[in-house]
Amino acid sequence: MFDIAPDHAIALYTGLLALPPAIYLVRRRRVRQAASGTVLAASVLMATAGAIHLGLVWTHLGEPITAVLFGLNGVAYLVLSQLFTWRWWRLASSALITMTLLGYAGFIVLGFDSPDQVALATKLLELTTLGLVLIPVRGEPGRPHRAWRWSALGIAVPLLTVVSMSVVWIVDLARPDAQHAHAGAVLQPTNDVPTPEQTAAAQRLYDETAAAIAPYRDWRVASAAGYRPGGPQDQPSTHWMNQRYAGYVMDPQHPQGLVYANTKHGPVLLGAMFQMQHIGQFGPDPGGPLTAWHQHQNICFTPLGVEFSLMTPTATCPIGAIDVSIPPMLHVWIVDNPGGRFAVDIDSQVVKRIDQG
Amino acid sequence: MIKAEGSGRHEAVFVLLLMQSLFWLIAGISAIPFALAGEVFMAPLALVTMLLALLTCLVGIGALWRRRWARASAIAIEAACLFGSAVLLLLPLGFNRGPVSLMVNVLLPVAVILLVRKSDAVSA
Repeated sequence: MFDIAPDHAIALYTGLLALPPAIYLVRRRRVRQAASGTVLAASVLMATAGAIHLGLVWTHLGEPITAVLFGLNGVAYLVLSQLFTWRWWRLASSALITMTLLGYAGFIVLGFDSPDQVALATKLLELTTLGLVLIPVRGEPGRPHRAWRWSALGIAVPLLTVVSMSVVWIVDLARPDAQHAHAGAVLQPTNDVPTPEQTAAAQRLYDETAAAIAPYRDWRVASAAGYRPGGPQDQPSTHWMNQRYAGYVMDPQHPQGLVYANTKHGPVLLGAMFQMQHIGQFGPDPGGPLTAWHQHQNICFTPLGVEFSLMTPTATCPIGAIDVSIPPMLHVWIVDNPGGRFAVDIDSQVVKRIDQG
Repeated sequence: MIKAEGSGRHEAVFVLLLMQSLFWLIAGISAIPFALAGEVFMAPLALVTMLLALLTCLVGIGALWRRRWARASAIAIEAACLFGSAVLLLLPLGFNRGPVSLMVNVLLPVAVILLVRKSDAVSA
């Protein structure tokens, strides 16, 4: 959702390239003096949306139905962008935009495409255009049907915005691609099946790390070594971080973090965490797919209680939280974890059992 | 034929502020599941975000009615938004720099400021 699909990138450039001619065409039309600014702006945005859809045709020639739909949609947008003096322009434009938005939602629900930045940007463009098409302007002569247009604007724009963004988000969370272990976590690209050498290297890393962090089963020893809780301890587990070890790279003797379960008996060591210093810099991967690092991207972080939520498809966070990405990390779990010794997360049932035990 | 005497500037501001208020409404709602899952501080943040969404919508209505307070409020909201975005873009925190983020956090506030700055016929 926060990436640009390679076959969609060209559409972004097509849309940007279409912007100057669209503005030029609107400016040179004599009738522009008679049309309101909202109508002219809608015309420019529709031309841009049309160019984006046409740009997608070339990269979808292998999917004839999709290519035809993009082509028809693009042409319809371009034609309507120039017909803003037509009596039925508002009705036709509103219908086209609504159908496009609902069609896209259906398209991704059925799994024909995955949401990406180009698609989301186009949807926001279309939603804004819909608002500009519908809104009545003060002093509009004739029969502007103000009541109908206000009703449509007040219902359609909020409803379509919430529905289309919710669908995009739900689909993205429900059907993460191979690189997304779960919401907000991006996996390091690796080979699919580990080689015998990679399996042996992963075992070695596990053994060395488990042995090195054994003394930290006593949290006081960890505290004396410089590890400090990196978040609230009323959660099921907490990462304890050691800033002194920030410069080490996957050194079993100096892991950047330790993960403790917060039990009624006190902190219980669950494993270690290696972390790189920079965003996008994945660490060494001796175990191939077994030891793939992961990076948390586009999470909304608030210093209040050190808590997280996820950034919305419209790239916004709650007020008081900021969008951050966290440098790549690799966990080594020394307790039995159904997801594996190097899994992105510890199973919540494991933590619960430890707490009860 | 569609004709209008007005520039539609105020109406365009309303549409943009309506969109922005919807984005914040979605952000506020999105924090609720996290608050319910134990991230307690997300609850007040969700509430504040939804109140800001409401305020932004009201400012949009004020702009539509050519109110001077709405013009000043819109500039204040968007200036704060732009400042925050600029800081986050400059800091190496991994702030999203995708087209949607730039449209919502930079382009939209700039457009609103430009539109209200040039607006005329405001009334107190």
